[in-house]
Amino acid sequence: MSLQFVIDGLLTGSMIGLGAIGVTLTYSILRFSNFAHGDFMAWGTYATLAVVSAIGATFGKVAPIAPLSFGWPLLVALVVGMAFTALLALLLDRVLFSRLRSQGQAIIVVMASFGASMALRSLLEFTFTSRPTYFSRAIQIAMPVGFGIRITPDQIALLLLTAVLVLGVHLLMTRTQTGRAMQALSQNAALARIVGIDVASVVRVTWIIGGALACVAGVMIGILVQIRPFMGFDMLLPMFAAAILGGIGSIPGAVLGGLIIGLAEAGAVQLIGAEWRAAVSFIILMAVLFVRPIGLFGVRER
Amino acid sequence: MIDLIGYGAFFLTTALIFSLVTLGLNLQWGLTGLFNVGLAGFVAIGAYTSALLTTPDDAARLGGFGLPILVGWLGAMVVGGIAAALTGMATLRLRSDYLAITTFGVAVVVQLVALNAQKLTGGPFGIGFIPRPFGSLAEKPLLFNLSNLAVVAAVTLVAYLALEHLSRSPWGRVLKALREDERAAISLGKSARFYRVQAFAVGGAIMALAGALQAHFTGFIAPDNYLPILTFQVWVMLIVGGSGSNLGAVIGSILVWGIWAGSGTLTSVLFAPEQQARAASLQIVAIGVMLCIILLIRPNGLFGDRLLRPRLGKRAKVTTAKSSSGS
Amino acid sequence: MSETVLDVRDLEAGYEPGVPIVRGASITVRKSEIVVVLGPNGAGKSSFIKAIAGLVPITGGTVLLDGKDITAAPAHTMVRLGLAFVPQTENIFQLMSVEDNLKVACGILERREIPARIDEMYAAFPDLMRQRRTAAGNLSGGQRQMLAVARALIVHPKVLVLDEPSAGLSPKFVSMVFEMLAGIRKSGVTILLVEQNAKAALAIGDRAYVLVEGKDRHEGIASELWNDPVVAELYLGQRPSHASKGGVA
Ligand SMILES: Nc1ncnc2c1ncn2[C@@H]1O[C@H](COP(=O)(O)OP(=O)(O)OP(=O)(O)O)[C@@H](O)[C@H]1O
Ligand SMILES: [Mg+2]
Repeated sequence: MSLQFVIDGLLTGSMIGLGAIGVTLTYSILRFSNFAHGDFMAWGTYATLAVVSAIGATFGKVAPIAPLSFGWPLLVALVVGMAFTALLALLLDRVLFSRLRSQGQAIIVVMASFGASMALRSLLEFTFTSRPTYFSRAIQIAMPVGFGIRITPDQIALLLLTAVLVLGVHLLMTRTQTGRAMQALSQNAALARIVGIDVASVVRVTWIIGGALACVAGVMIGILVQIRPFMGFDMLLPMFAAAILGGIGSIPGAVLGGLIIGLAEAGAVQLIGAEWRAAVSFIILMAVLFVRPIGLFGVRER
Repeated sequence: MIDLIGYGAFFLTTALIFSLVTLGLNLQWGLTGLFNVGLAGFVAIGAYTSALLTTPDDAARLGGFGLPILVGWLGAMVVGGIAAALTGMATLRLRSDYLAITTFGVAVVVQLVALNAQKLTGGPFGIGFIPRPFGSLAEKPLLFNLSNLAVVAAVTLVAYLALEHLSRSPWGRVLKALREDERAAISLGKSARFYRVQAFAVGGAIMALAGALQAHFTGFIAPDNYLPILTFQVWVMLIVGGSGSNLGAVIGSILVWGIWAGSGTLTSVLFAPEQQARAASLQIVAIGVMLCIILLIRPNGLFGDRLLRPRLGKRAKVTTAKSSSGS
Repeated sequence: MSETVLDVRDLEAGYEPGVPIVRGASITVRKSEIVVVLGPNGAGKSSFIKAIAGLVPITGGTVLLDGKDITAAPAHTMVRLGLAFVPQTENIFQLMSVEDNLKVACGILERREIPARIDEMYAAFPDLMRQRRTAAGNLSGGQRQMLAVARALIVHPKVLVLDEPSAGLSPKFVSMVFEMLAGIRKSGVTILLVEQNAKAALAIGDRAYVLVEGKDRHEGIASELWNDPVVAELYLGQRPSHASKGGVA
C-alpha cells in the first residue's frame, strides 16, 4: 500500500474539516443540522469562479504565482466568494430559518434546510448545467517528497491555508469575546442572554464563519478536483460524520474528525476502490453512534 | 378518449404508489415524529429485494429466484422493515437530528450498493424483466393500465385502512402521546424507544412495499429511480397533505404528483429538447421553494392534525432536570 | 428615606397567553438595601423576578430601574441597564473555565477595563482565583454560587437579583452564601433576593415581601417578619422554613 493515501487523505480531510466547522457551529449554536451547508460550498465555489472569470475578462490573462496553478485573481475571487457565501447564509437565515426557529420548531428547520438545499442545488444546475468545470486546466507536476509520496505546490498551499484558517477560528473561539459568547450560547442559551449576550448577533457571526469556510472548502475541491452543482451535496455525509465524530460543538473535533474521515476514505480508495468511498463516512458515523455518540471531544449529550 | 383514460389510469397508479410511500412516512413522521430524509433508500431496498426474488434466473447476477410476485412483495416488506428497525435502534436513543443524518446516510449507501454491487443489483443498468402482475394483458394497454391501477389501489386501500386502524388503536395512541409529550416519553424510557423503533420499522416496510409495487408495475428498475429527489417529493407530498393525517398523505401525493407531472409536461412543451434538463432543475427549484413556503405559512398542510412541537426542546430538558432532582 | 433603585408596579406576567402566573405584584427596593421575597412553593416568586429580568413575557404593570422604564426590555439588555440576575439553577457555564465565565459576562465593558474587574472579583472571592483554570462544572456547590454571583457583580450592577442562592446547598455552604450576600451589601450593592430559607434570608434582609399566588400579600421589616403571625398564616399554617422545600441534591 502506497503512502500516497496520507496526502490524499489530508487534502480530502481538510475539505471535510472546513465544512464540518460550519456544520458543528450551526448544530451547537442554532441547534439544527443544516442540510443546505453543502450547497453553500457549491454556491461559494461558483461565485468564486464567476469572479475569476470577471477578472479575467477585465484584466486579460494573469500569470499564475510561481509554482501554483493560480494567480492573484483567484485569491481576490476567493475573498469575494467567502463574503458572498456568508451573505447567502445570512439571507437564508433571515427569510427561512429564523422564522421557523422563532416558532420553536427544531426539526422543521432541518426539513426546511433540506428543501432549501434541493432548491439551491437545482438553481445551480439550471444556471451552470450539471457539466463539471475547472478553475484551471493546467496540469501540475507533483514533487516527490520521499516514502513514495508526491505532492503538488497547489496541494501544499491549500494544506497551509487550511491550517491557518483552522488556527484562526480556534483562536477566535477561545480567545475573543465573540468566541466566548458563541461557546456560552451553545452551552446555555438562557444564561447567555442573562449575561448580556445578544443572541441575534452571535447567530449572525455563526453564519458568517460557517458560510465563509464552506466557500473555502468548495474552492479547494474546485482547484483539486472539479466544480459541479452536486459537489457540496456529496460532501454532506462526510461533513456530518466528521462533526459527530469530533463531538458536536468542538472546532478541533470537527477538523480532526474531518482528517480521520479523509484518511479513511483515501485508504479505502486504495484498498477497495474509489466507487465505495462514500460508504466510509457512513460506517464511521454508525460506529460513533453505537460506541461513543458524544464523539471524541464531546462532553455531554444535548 | 381511450388514450386519456389510459393515461389517467397510469397517472393514478404512479400517484397511488407515491401515496403508499407517503403513508409510510406519515406513520414515521406524522404519527411518531421520526424524521426520515433517506426514504428513497427504503423504497429502493424494497424494489431491489422484490426484483431479486421474482425475476427469472440471470447468469450475470445473483438470482433471480423466479418466486411468485406476492413472495417478492412480502420479502420487500421484511427486508425494508429490518433495515428501518436497525436504523432506528442505532439512533432513536439520541437526538432527533441524528436519525435524520443516519437515514440520509442509509440512502447514500443504498444508492452506492445499487450502483456498484453489480452481482446483486445489476449496477447502473439496473434490473429488467421484472414480472408484472398482469403481464399477459400487456397487448391491451388500456386493460393493462386499469388492472395495474386496480392492484395498486387495492394495496393502497388496505394500507390506508390498516394505518387508520393502527393510529386509533392503543398502539397508535401511545405513539401520539410520545410525539406530543416528551415527559411521557422520558418516563417510559426504554419502552418508548421500542415503540418508536416499531413505528419506524413498519413505516420502512410500507415504503419498501411501495418500491416493490413500482418495480413490478414498470418492469424495470435502476439506481436513478432512487435519488434524493424522491425523498424530497414525498416530503412535499406529506407536508402539503398535512402530516398526521393519512387522508392528507394520499390526497397530498395525488395533488403534488399532479403538479409535478403537469409542470413536467409544460416544460417539455415550452422548452427546446436541449434545454429540457435545465428546465427540469427549475421544476425542482419551484417545488423546493413551495416546501419552504408551506412550512412557513401553513405548517399543518391541508389536513394536518399535528400539534407542532420540538421533540427534544428546552422544556424536555427542564422536566428531566426537575424530575431527577426532585425525587 | 434613601432613593428607590427598583420599583415594580402591578406586574402581570405568564408563560402562555391567558395564563397569568404573576398577578399584579408590586415591590420597591431602595439603594443599598437587601429586600427578600418569600412565599410558598409555586407562588410565582421565580416567575416574578424572571419577568423583571426580561425572561418571562410581561402582560401588565411597569418595572422602573433608577426611574427608567425597563419593562419588557430584552433580557440581554438588562445588564447594560444595570440589572444583573442570578438564576436558581444552571447559573454558570459548566464547560467554561472559571475565568472565562467571568470574562464572558464582561461584554458591556471596555476591553481594557476587564482585567481590573476580574482581579477585583478574585480579591473578593479568593476561592475563584485559586480555581481560575478549572471548568466551572467541577466546582463545589458553594463555589458555583460564588462564581454565579461574581459573574453578576463584575459589571457593577445597580441591583443584584438572586433566585434562591441557597437552594440545594449543604448547611455549611448555606451560611457561607448568606455571609457573602451580607458582605456584598456592605460594599453598597442593592440586592433583591428570593428565598425559601426564610429564617436566614430575613436575618440578613432589611425588608421583605410575601408573595402568594402571584401577588404581594404582605410587607414588613425583615427582622420583625419572622415572628409575624400573618406570615405564618400566608404559608398555610406552616412555619416558613427551609425544611418545607424538601431535600434537594
Ligand atoms: N417555564 C414555565 N412554563 C410554564 N409554566 C411555568 C414555567 N415555570 C414555572 N411555571 C409555572 O408557574 C408557577 C409558578 O412557578 P415559580 O417557579 O415561579 O414558583 P416559585 O414561587 O418560584 O416556586 P418554588 O418555590 O418552587 O421555586 C407554577 O405553577 C409553575 O408550574
Ligand atoms: Mg422558584
